Amino acid sequence: MLYVLEDAINGILIGSIYGLTAMGLTVIFGVLKVINFAHGSMLMVGMYVAYWAVTLSGIHPYLALVIVAPVMYLFGYYLQDIIIKPIFKAEKDVREPITVIIVTTGVWYVLDNLSLLVFGPQYRSLQDNPLRGKMFEFGGMMLSVPKFWGFVIALVTAAGVYFFFQKTRMGRAIRATSLDRESASLMGINQYRIYNVAFGIGAAISGIAGAVLVPFNNVYPSVGVLFDIKGFIIVVLGGLGSLWGALLGGIIVGLIESIGPQFMAATWTEAIVYALFLVVLFVKPSGLFGEKYDW
Amino acid sequence: MKKNMALGKRILVFVAVFALLGMLAGAPASFAADKVVKVGNIEPLSGPSASVGQQGKCARDLAVEEINAAGGIKSLGGAKIEMVYADSESKPEKGVAEAERLINTEKVNVLTGCWNSAVTYPTTAVAERYGIPFVVPVSVADKITEQGFKTVFRIAAKDGWWTRDQFAFLKDMAKETNTKLETVAFVYENGDWGKGFAEQWKKLAEKEGFKVVLDEPYPSTATDLSPVVQKIKRANPDVLLLVSNAADAILLTNTLAEYKVKPKAIVGSGGGHADPSFLKAAAKNAQYVFDIVEWETDVGKPMVPAFNEKFKTKCGYNPAGESVDAYVAMYVLADALERAASLDPKAIRDALAATKLSSGPAMVASYDAIEFDATGQNKNAALCIVQINDMGKGLERLTVWPKSARHAGYTPVFPAPQQ
Repeated sequence: MLYVLEDAINGILIGSIYGLTAMGLTVIFGVLKVINFAHGSMLMVGMYVAYWAVTLSGIHPYLALVIVAPVMYLFGYYLQDIIIKPIFKAEKDVREPITVIIVTTGVWYVLDNLSLLVFGPQYRSLQDNPLRGKMFEFGGMMLSVPKFWGFVIALVTAAGVYFFFQKTRMGRAIRATSLDRESASLMGINQYRIYNVAFGIGAAISGIAGAVLVPFNNVYPSVGVLFDIKGFIIVVLGGLGSLWGALLGGIIVGLIESIGPQFMAATWTEAIVYALFLVVLFVKPSGLFGEKYDW
Repeated sequence: MKKNMALGKRILVFVAVFALLGMLAGAPASFAADKVVKVGNIEPLSGPSASVGQQGKCARDLAVEEINAAGGIKSLGGAKIEMVYADSESKPEKGVAEAERLINTEKVNVLTGCWNSAVTYPTTAVAERYGIPFVVPVSVADKITEQGFKTVFRIAAKDGWWTRDQFAFLKDMAKETNTKLETVAFVYENGDWGKGFAEQWKKLAEKEGFKVVLDEPYPSTATDLSPVVQKIKRANPDVLLLVSNAADAILLTNTLAEYKVKPKAIVGSGGGHADPSFLKAAAKNAQYVFDIVEWETDVGKPMVPAFNEKFKTKCGYNPAGESVDAYVAMYVLADALERAASLDPKAIRDALAATKLSSGPAMVASYDAIEFDATGQNKNAALCIVQINDMGKGLERLTVWPKSARHAGYTPVFPAPQQ
């Protein structure tokens, strides 16, 4: 029983971090109505930024968030502004522009291979950081400290983004654009600027996720791919475009991955995750938290 | 209508440009066809195993540069070896497609690759169909040379030998240090390689009287291995046997340290544990881990220090056993081409089958001759076991088994300290 509890807690912790990695994807989809295939690569870039920020300056990994989030925001903002926006404009009469999806796939390949060229194929992990290998131990249970803080950061990030969308002028403009881009434009909202900001926010969240992962995970050029597929499953589970859905979807996947192996081989948990994914698609295609009606 | 014409014109221009490019690219090859041996290499140059793929590439390039600088293949009029690389991304279907492309489009004379057993296995079938000789430096799955193929030649030891030697090592060490080893856990990546090892471990464990307390495959794309580590911890084995690729080897080693799981011995199976970045990324957590390899930088062969030096200068890191296999493979190939004196695939295959190479740079290998048996397996490939420890020069890999090859002045730490 204690084992199950221990595994469940670990599942919730790592699951919320999965949710955090998927949150950027859901924000970008919610606003742009485009599945960003470069999402994993943005996470990879975020991990490298966090890794180098910590390694070069020796600061605490979570202090690196101060650097990583703004850097990634600008990265996302200009990635959208320079590379994706022109395609968007060319396709502006289409509701779900397929070409943009293909462009994001291109960005994925370019980023992954660029980092392979620049950083090399080596696996890197943060050495001697105050979080490496730290564990909470109580009553025979062991819980990872960096995962616990990852959980807290995921909650704070979700709440922060939610608050920003609900309460600020920019947030309202973003929500208006995501509901109906034509009407929003008629109301004087510059939709392309909103896209830039949304992409920037998505990238910044990926950066935060990267900084959370770096203390206990390796960094290498194709690391994003691992989280990419997981991210898609999570956002579909939770409902595409839903912030809290992403978090919940992540926790569900984390729980399955963490508790499952105690009853079966670890490889089977992947099958369960995909099976659940299919069931959700059949029963509630909009996901657990998704909007039933599409605007 | 006008728009369509413009489109048509554009396509025409495209076709013309491509045709021109094709001519340019094809031209030098066709002029010098009798001066070049094209070797196609399929390796995981990107994706999760990019690190080992790049090492294999660097090792091959080193050997080929030396061969070409020494006058190429003399019996073919000093023909130079030209390397053509293709990226498998560790995906079997990619490897198969690239093999088809290399054979049909690039017209390679020989293939080598593919590191991942899961990629090599289907890819060798393509080579067999076309009759193109396929030299396998490192994929170790037994079945690769057990398909009855005529064109497959493997340099590395096959996994049956790796597992056999892992258990022989455990037995010898238990005796040497008077340690009682009763329970064993198998944790392995869920691919051809890991599953192949696990199957043989099971048989060996039964034969040697070990109790198997855990038999756990895991996806090597896992992002969190703490559930698997928890299982290991609860099973509490004396010996933990692992098969891992690099990213998961690092993650697993770090997670084992976090959960303070300390079996008496952790024994890896090359691959990820032999990757130079494993030592750097897992650092202190990798101390006392054993690993089985074909070759180590402290192998007692006279040419080894010089080889280490030039390898490090070219590639920037120490050679690992798998790099040496790739390096040796190129010399085996050059030797076969020299004797074949022809680019006919059949002649090259027959020359490879008759290989008996016991001199030259290929002898950096830890054994004394390279010969293939009827299945194409290198008969003499031998293995040794190393322990990661610090002898005052930082963490390094120190040969501990067989005892005759043990690193001078080193006493293996066995069992691993529990504190």
